[in-house]
Amino acid sequence: MRIFRFVVRRLLQLIPVLLGVVVLTFLLVRVLPGDPIRSILGQNATEADAAAARARFGLDQPLWRQFLDYLGGLVTGDFGTSIQSGASVGGEMALRIGPTLELVVIAVSIALVVATVLGVWSARRANRLGDHGIRLFALVGNSIPEFWLGLMLVLLGYSVLGWFPAPSGRVDPDANLTPITGADLVDAVLTANGPAISSAAAHLVLPVLTLVVGVVAPLLRSVRASALEVLNSEAYAAAAAHGLPPRTLLHGYLMRSTLVRLPALAALVFGTAIGSTVLVEYVYSWQGFGQWALRGLLYRDYPVVQASVLVIALCYVLVFLIADVVHAILDPRVRI
Amino acid sequence: MADLRAAGATGATARVTRSRDDRFARLLIITGAAILAVVAMAALAAPLLSSWGATEIDPAATLAAPGGAHPLGTDTNGMDVWSRVLYAARLDLGIAVAAVALAVLVGTLLGLVAGYLGGWLDDVLMRVVDIFQAFPTFILALAVAALLGNGTVNLIITIAAVNAPAYARLVRAEVRTQRELPFVDAAVTSGASTVGVLWRHLLPNSLTPVRVIAPLNCGWAMLTLAGLSFLGLGVSIPEAEWGAMISLGAADVVGGRWWTSVPPGLALFVSVLGFSLLGEGLQERANAKRR
Repeated sequence: MRIFRFVVRRLLQLIPVLLGVVVLTFLLVRVLPGDPIRSILGQNATEADAAAARARFGLDQPLWRQFLDYLGGLVTGDFGTSIQSGASVGGEMALRIGPTLELVVIAVSIALVVATVLGVWSARRANRLGDHGIRLFALVGNSIPEFWLGLMLVLLGYSVLGWFPAPSGRVDPDANLTPITGADLVDAVLTANGPAISSAAAHLVLPVLTLVVGVVAPLLRSVRASALEVLNSEAYAAAAAHGLPPRTLLHGYLMRSTLVRLPALAALVFGTAIGSTVLVEYVYSWQGFGQWALRGLLYRDYPVVQASVLVIALCYVLVFLIADVVHAILDPRVRI
Repeated sequence: MADLRAAGATGATARVTRSRDDRFARLLIITGAAILAVVAMAALAAPLLSSWGATEIDPAATLAAPGGAHPLGTDTNGMDVWSRVLYAARLDLGIAVAAVALAVLVGTLLGLVAGYLGGWLDDVLMRVVDIFQAFPTFILALAVAALLGNGTVNLIITIAAVNAPAYARLVRAEVRTQRELPFVDAAVTSGASTVGVLWRHLLPNSLTPVRVIAPLNCGWAMLTLAGLSFLGLGVSIPEAEWGAMISLGAADVVGGRWWTSVPPGLALFVSVLGFSLLGEGLQERANAKRR
């Protein structure tokens, strides 16, 4: 019950932040240079053509009027019409979110497991060879440009070894996959399409690996640091001094107190992963949300920019909210 | 309970670990600084170390493999890769450092004022920071860069704008704890002005965490700049910049032509690693001091 109240309160607190995001994006995208109409009309378009197009998208209205229309649409779940494609922004977005979530969720899940196992292992061997190796790996992962790592993996995995498919597309078109969610691996499993499963999985390996390296590094450092803190704590020393068996020490004392911090970290890392996905999608021509939002930005497609910015902000703050709730469940000391 | 720990680690071993930690921190700092010094030297001495200009075209060689007149080959435009990798250090290092300096300056000022004065100014400022922090930083940089347009000054502003809120929050928190300490009251009662207290007492004391974070931030700024250029939103070809070079070379990778994208990526990676090592060392030292 207390958790429920906490969630409601936090959701209410989100409203001003999201409203700020909506207003700021709406104004910025219009105030700063760039014209969405010019990019859809050809070079030979006259002023009259431009004015007609502007009227078609309601851009001839005064700003306050445009804003109220936009806000009214948002309340009913209508994100408007894309200026570039003329299609509904909500519909376009629904197609793009699946492929991106597929990448991010798989990568973050793998990274969480790897970081926990390696981080705790490393902390228990603090300042020995294995620990130094892990720390070096974390430093490298933090410093390597992800898009370049992606290219290097393509160079090695496709051009040199030929083990993985070319970096274009998400599934072999010959596999005849019926789209349901947009996440190809999930769709292939749902439709029990064998060739599509293996093709989608093969296409996923390199982009997921690229994301994992970037995501695992900051996680690994934090898990190691918090495990070290637990190992050096008086409570752990007392438990060890009582002669508890190593297994109990590891699972009951070390793991649990280390993992308490993981949800907040995972939320943060989820955010960085969303950022990196834009680059990774670009490298692998992955037709996801990032590519779509990027194109919207480049062509000043106002409704697309507004919708994608709002959805990213919403995702990000919701993930943090979920992390806080999970934290409260894991850690009985947290009062919410 | 305190005895338990003392029993485990006697004074002597504690001292040994501390000095070992310290030596490790120093090693990290020296390695990082050495890497950065080499990169900076390469940037300055680029004309001496290469025989081609940054944007000079060799019409006889497009996409030539390494060897002969071009030690690292040429790109699709017939420009020498080795020369460009060297010259690019100027833009990459320059923009990243300038952007972080600007972010520290603006963020620190805002954090100082908000933290010391409090009130509605503090409220407004922190709500704005909240809005900024409702986005992953790279996404924010992407949006700002796309909207501002490219150009060196705009890129510096973009990267600074994305980072400044974090510094504002950091310094504000630090100032708020410092403000309650007796030495501030002492300064005020002995007649120091608000500006005097801020400048002479609170600023130096609040900068400690900033000093540790700024080098790490420089590495991140380089990655952001290169990432933006890679997507076509930062520095654009023919100017020499590592991210833009990698972007141009990306098309050759599928055909197995590695020399247009591997060298600039390596240069970028090593430079960022330099900042990371430096930052890690400073962090380690700060942690050791706190203990």
